[in-house]
This record gives sequence, structure tokens and C-alpha cells, in this order.
Amino acid sequence: MKFEQWKGFKEGEYQDKIDVRDFINLNYTPYEGDKSFLAGPTERTKKVMEKVNDLLKKELDKGGVLDVDTEHVSGLLAYDAGYIDKDLDIIVGFQTDEPLKRGVNPFGGMRMARQSCEAYGYKLSDKIEENFKYSTTHNDGVFSVYTDEMRKARKAAILTGLPDAYGRGRIIGDYRRVALYGVDYLIQQKEADKVRYGQNDMSEDNIRTLEELHQQIQALKDLKGMAGKYGYDISQPASNAKEAIQWLYFGYLAAIKEQNGAAMSLGRTSTFLDIYIQRDIDNGTLTEEGAQELMDDFVIKLRLSRQLRTPEYNELFGGDPTWTTESVGGMGLDGRTLVTKNSYRMLNTLYTLGCAPEPNLTILWSDKLPENFKKFCAQVSIDTDSIQYENDDLMRPIYGDDYAIACCVSAMKVGKQMQFFGARCNLAKLLLVTLNGGMDEYSGLQVAPKGKKFEGKLDYDEVMKAFNEYSKWMCRLYINTLNVIHRMHDKYAYEKIQMALHDTEVQRFMACGVAGLSVIADSLSAIKYAEVTPIYGENGLIYDFDIKGDFPKYGNDDDRVDSIAVSVLENFSKELKNTPAYRGAEHTLSVLTITSNVVYGKKTGSTPDGRKKGEPFAPGANPLHGRETSGALASLNSVAKLQYSCCKDGISNTFSILPNALGDTKEKRVDNLADMLNGYFKEGGHHLNVNVLDRAKLVEAMENPAKYPNITIRVSGYAVNFHKLSKDQQLEVLKRTYHGEL
Amino acid sequence: MENYKARIDSVYNGSAVDGKGLRCVVFFTGCNMRCGFCHNPETWTEKGTETELNELVRKIKRYKNYILNGGVTLSGGEPFLQAEFARALVNALHVEGISSIIETNGLILDEELIRVCDGIRLDIKNQESDVDKRVLKFLDKCEELDKEVTMTNVLVPSLNDSKEKLDILKRLKQKYTCIKELKLLAYRKLCTSKYERLKIPFPYEKYEEGTKKDLDKAYAYLNE
Repeated sequence: MKFEQWKGFKEGEYQDKIDVRDFINLNYTPYEGDKSFLAGPTERTKKVMEKVNDLLKKELDKGGVLDVDTEHVSGLLAYDAGYIDKDLDIIVGFQTDEPLKRGVNPFGGMRMARQSCEAYGYKLSDKIEENFKYSTTHNDGVFSVYTDEMRKARKAAILTGLPDAYGRGRIIGDYRRVALYGVDYLIQQKEADKVRYGQNDMSEDNIRTLEELHQQIQALKDLKGMAGKYGYDISQPASNAKEAIQWLYFGYLAAIKEQNGAAMSLGRTSTFLDIYIQRDIDNGTLTEEGAQELMDDFVIKLRLSRQLRTPEYNELFGGDPTWTTESVGGMGLDGRTLVTKNSYRMLNTLYTLGCAPEPNLTILWSDKLPENFKKFCAQVSIDTDSIQYENDDLMRPIYGDDYAIACCVSAMKVGKQMQFFGARCNLAKLLLVTLNGGMDEYSGLQVAPKGKKFEGKLDYDEVMKAFNEYSKWMCRLYINTLNVIHRMHDKYAYEKIQMALHDTEVQRFMACGVAGLSVIADSLSAIKYAEVTPIYGENGLIYDFDIKGDFPKYGNDDDRVDSIAVSVLENFSKELKNTPAYRGAEHTLSVLTITSNVVYGKKTGSTPDGRKKGEPFAPGANPLHGRETSGALASLNSVAKLQYSCCKDGISNTFSILPNALGDTKEKRVDNLADMLNGYFKEGGHHLNVNVLDRAKLVEAMENPAKYPNITIRVSGYAVNFHKLSKDQQLEVLKRTYHGEL
Repeated sequence: MENYKARIDSVYNGSAVDGKGLRCVVFFTGCNMRCGFCHNPETWTEKGTETELNELVRKIKRYKNYILNGGVTLSGGEPFLQAEFARALVNALHVEGISSIIETNGLILDEELIRVCDGIRLDIKNQESDVDKRVLKFLDKCEELDKEVTMTNVLVPSLNDSKEKLDILKRLKQKYTCIKELKLLAYRKLCTSKYERLKIPFPYEKYEEGTKKDLDKAYAYLNE
């Protein structure tokens, strides 16, 4: 087929079937130059930003939530159109009829919806309460099936953060399809799939797929209706850059209206959009200022995305995150860079609009990236602290060159793969359960099968043997629990619009995770290299450990302990695969805690490495605070040893450095940071958050929030506003090792 | 390769303030001076770890991907006290394509070590005395061998921030073309806890820390 909107684009297979990658590959213009072409904000953008900043201030003054619509259930057609200023907005659309007004989404669970309203002084309307009396939520479904064992593991927080009471998220719709094909073609394709599946035997799987296709088609029709409320007909492809951004954004907007997912990521859109922008610039219908203005207005909308959640949830994840992750850069399979001028424009929004934690800008780093772009990224990190980096050279061989990051570190082919988010297992806690013969060290509850209690000096081989047994038990329980959760999520809170923007034959991952990696590595190292003896309390539970002698500590590039961390992950990953996952999903594993390392630490007793009861874990795959004594590069090298092949859902590392420790001039800092990133990724590191900030500035900000209202810092995997962190988390950030030397 | 051994205090991987680019810094044990502002007094009193050359080179090689635009800095303590090992280390790193500079007080002249290394960071000690004659000889040799020297000087307010003291630096810089850069380092007291741990007095405890203002003032005079 040929759409007139495609005039000027090279012809290819994308014209006969949905294939956005093919379209990009044929039509994009790689850019190897520097940032000098970039334009600043227009007067209009500045005016809009004044209004935005005013709204953000009001939101902060009101305790974090500006307004809640308690009358409607959030959905594509639930609200009238909303604007910042109808005359000024270029890219339009909000989740409700007003910016920052939050919608209610009870499909994940009624209790969460109710509590979220109440926490901010609102009451869910009787109408919604009444309606949901007669429907089952995801949360209801899960708890109707959970076994006692699952409930106990959850209660003791060995399994923690499970998406059983909220939207699972971490699914990226291919929102670019809306712009490239228009919605009518997408509906046609899904209808054809439905006819095809109709020919199969009606197994339970097939019936489920047919019902889902029906829901997807309905969602696409609603998407058109939603755009109609803003005066747009998106049944046909976008015909210029402004429309391409608008169509794409409508796709994303529909997703965040429909789903209150933990992470609602955007995908990999900048280079796709560059094709439309470049065509308009070549035609003389768009200037560089105009292009930046379009991207600015798009990003303003993304920054105002909000979900209604409980304060506890926000405490766990540090702020009010949406993980609107946009993946930028990377290399093509043909060796050309995927960096375009629009990759620069996307990053430039951190200057034109000021820095902000969302969208979560993620650089796909390759050794082969143009030097100019590497330098520009390093510069942006130093200036704004607002971007993270992931290793394209590690991911491209697995996912090709059209994958994106969901949430913080989860890679998936856009529109072709999705994941079942599985939160994480607390490994440090699992070790304590092992040593306590299956009992939770806090409550004394028998959470795991009864085993031997360890007394006297711990023997490494014996501990490992028992730990491996408990890992076996844990992994089976973990996968089974996730199977229950995701069956129920599919059934009661299915992502209709997001899955409509995927191929019908989608590949699924069961994305498990671990927390407390550094604690378990150091604990096992202590047991192996020092003398560790458990100390029992009167209740018959271990409350501390006596540690004699020194031991190698993770984070110093010391193979004696780093190899323990590596093998713990390998074993856990292998063990998970022994239990089949729901819908034939492939088991994957992440080492990621986001900011919840503080909360997990609170729920975990003293550990054999000398960490005391309640003290925070290190985030993600980071070494524990203060235990890295061999320099920043040694710490990076330890983390880089962890094998991505067994942690395909990502290995998160957060790196904080004082600016002057990176060099004494701006130019040197940029060069040194670029060298550091290059080195880390060549060593096989997967992900790096970079915080280049002044400790003094942060201390001052804690005492005087008004003075530094916009400090964005990266906390394991994403950026948050420093002031949205709890006091505990602020202290934790301060405590975290600064690799400073001054 | 003959396996040399040296007493090494520690290795810090990832410094951006001890020379060009990112660097691994090898702190040698032992010093022939006792500077009152010293940040590494453990190199005076402690034995360090006996380290084999092969082992040290193997460890440093782990950082090759990071330090290609930087290199290794031999520091201490005084690396020239273990010059034979230092020479072997510099040569072995060259084989790996890694460059090395040496931080020194310039009291010990080892011509071969100056020749093989890729640069010298010479710290001028003028806080309490004039510049030692041996340092001038050291500089003569660097000049003769055309070895790039970065001259450093720890600026301790009231001790060596006077015009007279700064003139010493000025004259050296004028006399020797091998001195490519003069860097002033503000005196800091971040090492107090080290002296406490070692139970030895911190000689410069009583002096104020150098501030950015002090540095700016001194640089302004030097650049007049």
C-alpha cells in the first residue's frame, strides 16, 4: 500500500507490513557533527514553561498531588480535552481534562485506588465504589489464588515489591506505529490476525488470544475517539513532523490513561521522529527553532504525566516516578550510528526546559558512537545529572537495533517483545532464612521448609550447600507466584492499547530480580575468608554475627569475592528456569532495586558481612557504601564482571562523583567522563547512572530545599527530584561513596 | 622478565587529578622527606605490601580500557627510593601501551628513570626552606633529556603564599623550558584522621587550609 503521507520517503518492506525498523533504517540521516546546530527555546516555549513551573509549584505546595478526578474511571474516553493553554499548546493531550489532575484507575486493585485518594484528602466517588462492587480487580484475582506459602514469603519480604496490587507496567507500546501507519491500518492488521486465529482449534490459549485481539481492536477505535476530542483524525498516517509527534504522543497518552503501570516507558522515538523533522526542514516548512519547539512541547507533555499512587508507594520508589524512559542513540546493525540531530534535540530539552527527572533519558552507548555525541552526553551529565547510560554493544547482538529500555534497565524489541515484571527476591534475607533453618529472622515465622539451624563458626561449604537448597525452593515459589500474578493481570487489567501496538505474536519475558547482591557477596566472602559465628537471641533467632578477621569485599576488583557475586547470580538464574513460566515466557533476571534498597534493608536483620539490622543495602549491583577502597574504576570493574548473559533484564550501577574529582576544568571533566563510560562498557558493564554533583551542594539542598528547587539526581536506574526523596533516602545519597579526592 | 619486587602502599584506580586523563596511581612506600602537609604519612611509617612487578602490571592492565588517554602515576612516598623497580614498571607498562609519569620531590636523581618515564610531576618544597640544590640538579637533567615537567607546589597560607616565595617558582619556570606547567595545590587537612590512626602528630595542624581565593591570588601574581 502507499499512503500519500509517505511522499519523499524511500520505499521498502514497511509499506507491505508493519515494520517500523525497516522504515527507520531506510530513511534516517545519521548525524556525526556536534551540538552547534541546536536552537534555544522560543518565546512561546518560555511562556508555556512559566505556566508549567507555576503548576509544579502548586502541586508541591499541595503536598504532591494537585487535584484528583474521583468521579471517572481513567480511560481513553473518560475525560474532555485538557490544555495548559489552548492557544499556546502545540502538542496536545492530558490524562484528564486538566494538567496534573490525576485520574483514578482501580483495575489493579480497589484498595490501592481508595487509599491513594484518601491519602491526599479525596474520596473515591460512590459511583466508582458501586461499579467496582460487581467487578473483579487484578488484586482480587491474585489473592483468590495465592497459597499460604506465597503469602508468607510476601509478608516476610523475601519476595518483595510484587505487582499484585498495582499495574505491572514495563510494557512499551510501539507508539511510532500510530504516526507511521495511522490507526485504521493498525485496526485492519489486527482484524486480519483475528480471522487467522479464528481458524485454529479453540484451545484456552487461542480463545484468550482472540479475546485479547477483540480488546485491542476496541482500544484502537477508542484511540481514534480520544484524538477526536482534541480535534484530530488519526485514522491516516501523520503527514508532517508536528503530526508525527502528535500521533505518537496520542498513542502514549492512551496507554497512560488506560494503565497505571509502575513504569510506562516511551520507547525509542527520537530518531524515528527525526525522519519527519528532516523531511520538513528539507521542504522548507520547518526551521531548527521550530523543530526544537516541537520537541520541547512534546517533552513538556511527557513531564506532566502523573499517576495516582499511595504515599507509601512513592516512598518506596523515591518520588513520584513514571519511568517515561526514552532510549537515545546506539548503533545500527549495518554499522551506521542511530544518532540523529533529533537525538541532540531530545537531550537539548534539558537545557531549553531546564533539567527534570522525566522523561528518563537513556543513552545507548557504543564504543562506535560518534565522538562528538559521546562528548555531548558527558557534557549533559555534568551539567544536568539527568541521563543514564546502557551498553548498546552488549544488547544489540541480542535485541537487534530497534530495542528500547523499559523502566530502568529492561531491554526489549519495540513492538515485538514484552515482559511480565517480577519485582525481586531479597537474597540477603534468603541467606538469613537459610541460617535460621527456614525461619524469618524478624518474626520467627516458619516461611520456608524447616532446616538445620547454624550454630558455631560457619563453614562456607556447608552454608553454600544449604543456601543452594533454599534457593531451589525460593526459585520455584517465585516463578509460581509470578505466574499467578500475571495470569490475573492479563485477565483483569490487560494492557489493551499497549498490546494493540505490538505484533500479535509477541515474545514474553518473565522478568525476575534480586536485591541485596553486595550484601550476600560480602557475607559469603566473610564466611569463607574470616571467622563468622552467629549470635542467637532468647527467641532462638540469629540477631547478629561475631566476625573475626578481614575478608575481601565486593567493589575492589578482587576476584576472590567478585566471583562469589557472579556465581550467586548464575545459580539463581539457572534455578529459576527449572519452573515453567506463564505463557511460555523466557526467564530473565535483573539486579536492580531502584531506591527500594533502603526499605529492603529496613526489613532485613544483621548480616554476616557486618551490616547491622535495618541498615540500607547498596542500590542495584552497587558495592556497599564505604567498602570500595581501591578507586572508582575498581568499583566499576567489579560490577562489570557480573554476566549480562544470566541477567538479561539488566544490571544497574549508580555512580556518584564530585565534579572536581573528574578533573579541574570543564573540558577535562567531559573527556574523563567519556573515557570512564567507554572503559566501563568495554569491560562489559551493562548500565551506569552518573551523578556528577557537589556533596556540599547536596547537603545545602537538604537544609534549604528552596535554594535548589530543581536538583535532579540519578538513583539506581532513573532520575528523581532530590526533594521528593524521603529524609532517609537523602541521607543515604549523602552517605553513598563519593569517589572524591579533594 | 626478571620479577622485581617493591614495597607498595596501595593502588588507587581512577584518579583524574594526578596528571592527564584518567589514571591509576601507585603509591610507593617510604619517603626521604617529612613534609608537614603530607597527605600520605602512612608511607613514612608503615611497611606497605611487598608487591611483585608481574602482579602489579597484571592489575593495572585491568584498567587499560579506561586509561588510554591517561596512564599511570607513580607516587608515594617517593618512587625514586625504589628506582630499579620503578624503571622496570615503567618499561613493562610501555610494552602494554600504557604511559607513566612520576611524582617526586626531586632529591634523588636516577637518570635512567627520568629517561624512560613519560613525564615528571615535581613538587617544589619551599614552605619552610629554600629549594634544595639537589632539586636543581634534577631539573638540569630533565632539561638535558627534554623531559616534560609539571611543577607542583602546595600553597600553605602564611608559609609560602608571599611574593618572595612565589618568585622562587616564577624563576624556576623561567629558567627551565622543560617545565611546561606550574600547578598550585591548595593545602587541605583531609588527612587528619590518618595522623590520628598512626598516632603521630600532624605537623601542619595549626595552619589554615588554602582556599580558592588564595589560589587565585597566587596565580594572578605568577601570571603577571
